[in-house]
Amino acid sequence: MSSTYTRRDFLKTTSFSAILAGTSCMAGKLGSLDTPMFDDINKTVNTYCEMCSSRCQVEAKVKKGKVTFIQGNSHSKGMNTSICARGASGHSQLYDEQRLVKPLIRVGKRGEDKWMAVSYEEAFNFISEKLSKIKKEYGAKSVLFSAKTGEQFNHLATFTSLFGSPNLFSHVSTCPITYKVAFHHTYGAGLKRDFSNSKYILNFGHNLFEGIAVSKTKKFAKAVNKDSCKLVVLEPRFSIVASKADEWHSVKPGTDLAFVLSLIHVWLRDGKYDKEFVKNYTVGIEQLIESTKTTTPKWQEKITGIKAEVVERIANEIYAAAPSCIIDWGHKTTTGQSEFQRTRAILVANALMGNLEKEGGLFFGKKAKTVNKIANMNIAPTISNPDKHIKIVKDLRIDRASQKGDNIFVSRKYGVLMDIPDAILSKKPYEVKAWVMTRTNPLITVANPEKMKEAMNKLDLIVVNDVYMSETAQIADVVLPEATYLERDEGIQDISSKAPAYMMRNKVVEPINKTLTSYEIFRTLAKKMNIDSKYKWDNINSYRAHQASGNIKLLEKLAKDGYVSFGIPSLLYREKSYVDKFVEKYPSASSNLDENGLFTKMIKFKTPSGKIEIFSQTIEDAFPGYGVPANHDMDVQKGYPYIITSGKTAIHTNGHTQNIPYLNMLMSDNPVWINPITAKKENLKNGDKIFLENSVGKEKATVFITEGIRPDTLFVYMGFGRDSKELKRADGKGTCQSKLLPLDKGPVCSTMITNTGVKITRA
Amino acid sequence: MKKKFRMIHDENLCIGCQACSVACRSENDVPDNVFRMQVQIETKGIFPDLKMNMQRHSCVMCEDAPCVTVCPTGASFQTKDGLVQIDHRLCVSCKYCVVACPYDARFMNPITKNIEKCTFCYSNRVSKGLEPACVTVCPTDALVFGDINDTTSEVYKKAKESNLLYPKANLGTKPKVAFVPNKKGVSYE
Repeated sequence: MSSTYTRRDFLKTTSFSAILAGTSCMAGKLGSLDTPMFDDINKTVNTYCEMCSSRCQVEAKVKKGKVTFIQGNSHSKGMNTSICARGASGHSQLYDEQRLVKPLIRVGKRGEDKWMAVSYEEAFNFISEKLSKIKKEYGAKSVLFSAKTGEQFNHLATFTSLFGSPNLFSHVSTCPITYKVAFHHTYGAGLKRDFSNSKYILNFGHNLFEGIAVSKTKKFAKAVNKDSCKLVVLEPRFSIVASKADEWHSVKPGTDLAFVLSLIHVWLRDGKYDKEFVKNYTVGIEQLIESTKTTTPKWQEKITGIKAEVVERIANEIYAAAPSCIIDWGHKTTTGQSEFQRTRAILVANALMGNLEKEGGLFFGKKAKTVNKIANMNIAPTISNPDKHIKIVKDLRIDRASQKGDNIFVSRKYGVLMDIPDAILSKKPYEVKAWVMTRTNPLITVANPEKMKEAMNKLDLIVVNDVYMSETAQIADVVLPEATYLERDEGIQDISSKAPAYMMRNKVVEPINKTLTSYEIFRTLAKKMNIDSKYKWDNINSYRAHQASGNIKLLEKLAKDGYVSFGIPSLLYREKSYVDKFVEKYPSASSNLDENGLFTKMIKFKTPSGKIEIFSQTIEDAFPGYGVPANHDMDVQKGYPYIITSGKTAIHTNGHTQNIPYLNMLMSDNPVWINPITAKKENLKNGDKIFLENSVGKEKATVFITEGIRPDTLFVYMGFGRDSKELKRADGKGTCQSKLLPLDKGPVCSTMITNTGVKITRA
Repeated sequence: MKKKFRMIHDENLCIGCQACSVACRSENDVPDNVFRMQVQIETKGIFPDLKMNMQRHSCVMCEDAPCVTVCPTGASFQTKDGLVQIDHRLCVSCKYCVVACPYDARFMNPITKNIEKCTFCYSNRVSKGLEPACVTVCPTDALVFGDINDTTSEVYKKAKESNLLYPKANLGTKPKVAFVPNKKGVSYE
């Protein structure tokens, strides 16, 4: 970042003279400040992490005012003192000299990296003036808003609604959208997995050992290490989770659906499924029998590369273990065109095994409201949303999410990020003039960043809040430095599992250089723009108080421990021992028991039929042929010789952590995995520089020859190939897979496609 | 009774996530780009018959420690509990110990120029009744540490129920870091 701009330079390149008074041009990073002042405080603070989206509960130790050590929060039983490498590196981000600590306004051309450091006040004036002008001339809907999901997203959503724009986007379309949409149409709500007690887990690349969520990872690791639990993994590469499996099948990318359909075929053919459960709780088995008539183990063999007898054997093994079995739908399911059908087929396969609300199977989260209802008394405090009355604007969105068309099943809270470039460039359905975003970096994490950049360059205003000068921040007009999670107090989060639990984010240290949190940024902007009359709260403490409905005890406990549960026994509605324990503690719950002494009356599906929808008329009406799991769209290779896939490492998170010192030291590059057979065919040696190329783009890569990948498949870890010279450690290193990804979407769920065909050319 | 420390690394539970390595860096102010400990991941076999081994790479606290024997100044020494430590007041950074260590566990601190290695967090944690930083943070509880003479300890229980091996046992250095070997995956060994 240049620190040598004179007033004359600034005047030459900008017309925003109003903000000039009293400012000087200077760098805005922590390294440009004097050493931050530290007080003499020693303490530990319980809070929760934000180095990735898992949000594990942590304890931060402060020595002489400086965070020195981060470990798991032992108040949270599932965590104990455990944490992952990213979580343990929180202070490496906090004190990184390359971190942004001053608001910046662009003074050169877009992307020229010429900035002027200003005060927040000046930045807010600039933004509010610009936004008001755009709103007046083009309407509120001409402004897009986006953020990573989490509490920051909720505050942005509130601001978006008050501003009046329907165009709110989360990261969901680039990550977990498939299972969210599939669950909605199958069970009416999401389910959780009881890994600890499972006897059989069939895993489709859900890599909890690299995409770590500590308490889940711990349970999963311990379960699969027991002789009493079998883990079968289907995944093109030999990942960490594959390495811990009893069986690993290197399935051809995009074809897992064929395997699941074949599994279902075997069960239905042999009558090996929970007929009682299917009769009582599901609709559509007839359509499923019809759609899987020809999906035999032999049929799938040619598609997946997995032998027919393997499917036969696994089908029998799972049935023998049912209902203590989990057919895992995974997390990041954005892989190919068949994702919706694949995930639906997995959810349906679970239903056939009758593993719902059974030990070692699947269960609904037991939130306070639910357990209070069952107990017929208040056994856990409920939490409310102070912004609940502020509704998302129901106007025509640029991606038409939730409106008739391709994105009909996409929530207005998610949106489809891949639809943004076309909408901006075509000015259809209307003109977009500005984009305001917080902690999101679409130029790395969304498909076809070149086109995204081209579109962004058409905008009049781009505002980016971030901790680092990301690729997206580089082409912004205003960059607001954000306080990291260790410098923020936040509201209460519901993290109920088999029993209710909450966590709260507590500030560990004061923000360096008084950087603002994103909720402070949007709350202040709303005030400045005079659109804040509907807020019930002014600051985070009043937000928290509204959430807790004045329950001071709860707030005190959360402020101290960061986590709270209420000694309520774990509950599974169809497990006698769990139900008995619950009724023993809360006898008033006995009125909710059924004739078998279970809580089956509490099992409710928020679907049109009120049952698990093996066949969904709603889907069938909008997407003919997709109402029931069936054979669709499994080719991701698209005529190219190889398929490139991507995935997580335990050391980095999407497009955010590559420049963090501790993590960069452990991994600063992502060479492309190539099987030795492929390397020989392409005449490649370890370390060779190559290009991966397809109709979308051409991206450099370094060769890493490994047996751990199918010969027709290539693999890179996500988030590398960075292109911001302000990220001095990460810039220019590695491969950005997004540059090869088409903006196509998976049908029904509108997921981003992350497996695609490429060819290899020499650099 | 004299304490008999053991650290057990269960390769079956270890996921190679490097949380241990980061916690070690924080706890011990390890300078950039050098490491007191890491877990090295090694994939073996021919596709698709593979296995992945997770190997802890750090000082193993030998009972017969070559680094102590070769040290010309007595800077490398063993505590009464048998832990190998370095007295930086005596260390002249001659690097004999670095060369002598069969586990390649020692390095020169690029800032202080002292020789350093894993200490089991002895002075900063273990002597205060805490566990070493790496053990504390391990997400899958793959690391277990304690006094194996104490029959109520986790490490005693773990040792009893596991088939423990010692790294480079053939050298006869008698390490105090043991491992439970990986039993997952297909082996060609």
